[in-house]
Amino acid sequence: MLKLHNLSKVYRTDEVETVALDNVNIEIESGEFVAIMGPSGCGKSTLLNIIGMLDSPSDGDYVFMDENVAGYPESKLSNIRKQNIGFIFQSFNLIDELTVEENIELALLYHNIPASERRERVARVMDKVGIAHRAKHMPSQLSGGQQQRVAVARAVVGDQAMILADEPTGNLDSAHGQEVMEMLQSLNNEGTTIVMVTHSPSHADYARRTINLFDGHVVTENLRAAG
Amino acid sequence: MFSNYVKTAFRNLVRNKLFSFINIVGLAIGLAACALILLFVRDEYGWDDHWDRAEDIYRLETTLKFPVGSDRLSPYAPDPMKDILLDAVPEVEAITRYMDGGMSVLKDGAVMLQEGMLVDQNFFDFFNLDFVQGDAKTALGNMNNVVLSQRVATSFFGEEPAFGQTISIRIGGQFRDFRVAGIIPNPVADTEIHHDFIIPFNREYFVGSRWFTEDWRFLYRNVFLKFVPGTNIEGMRALLPGLVEQHRPKRDEDIGQETARTVELHLLSLADAHLYSHAATSDPDVLKGFIGLAALILLIAVANFLNLSMARTSSRAREVAMRKVVGASRKQIVQQFLGEATALALIAMAVGFVMVEVSLPYYNEFLSAVVELDFFAGPGIAIGGLMLVIAVGLVAGSFQATYFALLRPRDVLYSNMSSDHSTGRLRGTLVVAQFTISIALMVGAFFVNKQTDYARTLDLGFNPENLVVVSGTNSNQSDTFKKRLLESPYIVSVGRSSDVPTRGSEDRLTMRPVASEELVTLDGLPTDPDFFTVFEIPLIAGRYLSDTEADYLRRNAGEGEYRERTNIVVNKSGAELLGFADPAAAVGQTVPTNLTPTQYLEATIIGVVDDFHFDSARDVIRPGIYYLDERRLSEMTVRLDRYNRDAAIAELEQVWRDMFPDQVLSYQYMSSLVEQQYQTEDQLSSALMAFTLLAIIISCLGLYGLASFAVDRRTKEIGIRRVLGASFTDVTFMLIWQFSKPIIIALFVALPVALYLVRDWLNGFAYRIELDAVPFAGVALIAIIIGWATVAGHAFKVARANPVKALRYE
Repeated sequence: MLKLHNLSKVYRTDEVETVALDNVNIEIESGEFVAIMGPSGCGKSTLLNIIGMLDSPSDGDYVFMDENVAGYPESKLSNIRKQNIGFIFQSFNLIDELTVEENIELALLYHNIPASERRERVARVMDKVGIAHRAKHMPSQLSGGQQQRVAVARAVVGDQAMILADEPTGNLDSAHGQEVMEMLQSLNNEGTTIVMVTHSPSHADYARRTINLFDGHVVTENLRAAG
Repeated sequence: MFSNYVKTAFRNLVRNKLFSFINIVGLAIGLAACALILLFVRDEYGWDDHWDRAEDIYRLETTLKFPVGSDRLSPYAPDPMKDILLDAVPEVEAITRYMDGGMSVLKDGAVMLQEGMLVDQNFFDFFNLDFVQGDAKTALGNMNNVVLSQRVATSFFGEEPAFGQTISIRIGGQFRDFRVAGIIPNPVADTEIHHDFIIPFNREYFVGSRWFTEDWRFLYRNVFLKFVPGTNIEGMRALLPGLVEQHRPKRDEDIGQETARTVELHLLSLADAHLYSHAATSDPDVLKGFIGLAALILLIAVANFLNLSMARTSSRAREVAMRKVVGASRKQIVQQFLGEATALALIAMAVGFVMVEVSLPYYNEFLSAVVELDFFAGPGIAIGGLMLVIAVGLVAGSFQATYFALLRPRDVLYSNMSSDHSTGRLRGTLVVAQFTISIALMVGAFFVNKQTDYARTLDLGFNPENLVVVSGTNSNQSDTFKKRLLESPYIVSVGRSSDVPTRGSEDRLTMRPVASEELVTLDGLPTDPDFFTVFEIPLIAGRYLSDTEADYLRRNAGEGEYRERTNIVVNKSGAELLGFADPAAAVGQTVPTNLTPTQYLEATIIGVVDDFHFDSARDVIRPGIYYLDERRLSEMTVRLDRYNRDAAIAELEQVWRDMFPDQVLSYQYMSSLVEQQYQTEDQLSSALMAFTLLAIIISCLGLYGLASFAVDRRTKEIGIRRVLGASFTDVTFMLIWQFSKPIIIALFVALPVALYLVRDWLNGFAYRIELDAVPFAGVALIAIIIGWATVAGHAFKVARANPVKALRYE
């Protein structure tokens, strides 16, 4: 699916230079479920942003589906992103002014998909995440777990090959957190590649592989036995 | 996609009701004010553009220049110019002339006064009108025809058909019958051609009238030229001095002396006549000021709109970031926000349009004497307005759009960082700009108002109260009329003159000062001996003119010859101009003066009166000379007993009816003549005040919106400050200070600019108020208080809020 080769990210301000990622080499196969762990400030989110093409590396190569996208302009990245990648955030990032179904539909709006098909796909994915009965609600009327399910639905409604989840359970209680994890697992079982940043070891256990980051370096990679 | 944009935009509006309201209403008020001003200005510039080939029609006007002293500006032109121009200039296709004035009309035994025109036969070739009845080609063919506007026809005949009827008009000293041979539409509001009552000009009416002379001496007819299309008017203008030089009599035919005055002719396009004619009824400088005012108000409103739009950007950053994450391109984001801002501006325009429609009747009433508006006069205004509003929307939207297009989703989605900082400085600048304009307008409005009030309280040098001016009193019966009036116990005094104060003098007399060979020019005014007592003009040296033979220049009796020497009175400025050290020194001095059109007479100064305003109170009082000429007394001024004014007027009317049963009594109160001079300025001053108020309201709306926004953003910060020990007062003052800063900066910019402009404006007045610092300080104080009052509510609210609540909310 993707391959990071000697990838670095350096943030520069006038006074300081912060190395967020230093010579990172990661390869993720199609259909994998990878968890990224590490202490705060180790570069997890930076890594996820670069994988999600919301940020560009300072150095190194990023090969996404056989294409080296490092150095691509924003418009090209945006295009690859919308075809292939879905996002789930800790803070849900739903749009307050749109209803549940409109929030989900947003992910299809920029794809030139006819309205009837959009409605159909939104309905299907709402069923899948169990939020159909709340279709006309505003985000503020939902619980945290429900909001994150909407976010999951939004991430997958475009049939994205890969989902990037940044602490998807961080704002949820344990019951709701588990619910979301199970949802991600079932998506992975259907073939979606999932890359997830988490602090929770138990949630990391859902993943086939865990990458531990520390100070911008990959420290260890643990492969969990299948089953 | 589109519906999604509409939904987010609309729900955003609804969610932030206050913001949306301020944003839309602020812009709407600005647009409405701007539209009202521009409609007025456009109307003023569009007078008389409705005539066929209006662009080829020019008005010929005259400036008479004298060796010394000020020029005399006349909207008319010398009669002989018609033939001269038609002969010498092939580009002149046709010329039409008319003279206007009041006429007595007899209908069913009652005499009415009617303003009418005596026109050349080709009048309707220039001023084409769709005849309701009759025919433009034949209506003026018969000398005994009259053409009436519909309103005048109704005023004479009511519901009865007027066409073909006969009315009796007093003209050339006797009543003559005229047949109504045409009914034409009423004159539109914006025309200088008041075609209500039209009679063919007939030279016979003026046989024997001394003043009607078809030569270069008297100017009394409006002259309009029609040029061949495409004529180079500059070329025509260049021809005029040569033609004047060639044809103007160099010597006065009566006495073979060289004429002192020179004649300058001007061509004025018909469209310019309203604003630039010597008889202009409007002031182009004022209009330019109004255009500036409209631009400033629009600027404030647009700044407001921009500011509030930008303030909202941070609250929509998450939405934009998410749109980008799911694939929106920059272009799509830009389109969304440009579209949104434009739509908002269009909504504001719709609201503004309603505001204009609702206020138009009041506005029209307010400017009654000046203008009448027709919003749908042409497509230009609608298209222009639409373009302007779309441009406003695009400019406002482009700030947001650029900001969002460059926004990096990760900055918003992963952090709590406020994205407010990047636009904060620009928004601060906009608030400063708004208040700078508002403050400068406040200062301007204050001084314009004060100057207008001052002009009103100006000592005119005479007492205009309880005075009535009766026109048309130059018949040989007028002296008897005066005597009859004086018999009434309610009439205090009666004086006669050729003109009355406020109307100005047309006579420019040259005199030779005692100690110099250099001629000087004074305004001459023929009076009778009672003129000064009626107007209560104080004598400061010598004596008034009296009813003795030596004081008269000319008497009615006999052939009306001028005496060889006469006594005169001058005003204080006149005595100064003539070189006398003090007024008393002038008394008894003899000064050669051209009191007759043809020769210098020995004029002995027997008295000096104090200066009084004879022209507009705006102008400097000019040196004046007063003398007795019984043949030139067409105005009679009557001082009424202040306690019996009604009885005095009744008496006046009765005596008139007894003596002149077939003429209309036409009189005006002197006080209303004085009042008329201030009317336009009063209106303009009030308009400036009103629009300044609107500018302040818009600015305050903006400040209020920003305060409410900032308070929302700073709830957490203020919570922390409170937890750390800041008191309620500390926090309130901190917030109030934050919003006082832009006003204080604005004061530093606005006050010097306002000072400069106001001083410049006041220098245009001969009699003006003094500039002092107090009004500036006052305006500064008011601005700051307005600012405080606007934000105080927010400051109190947030300072009083429970800090724990503020911190928990995240």
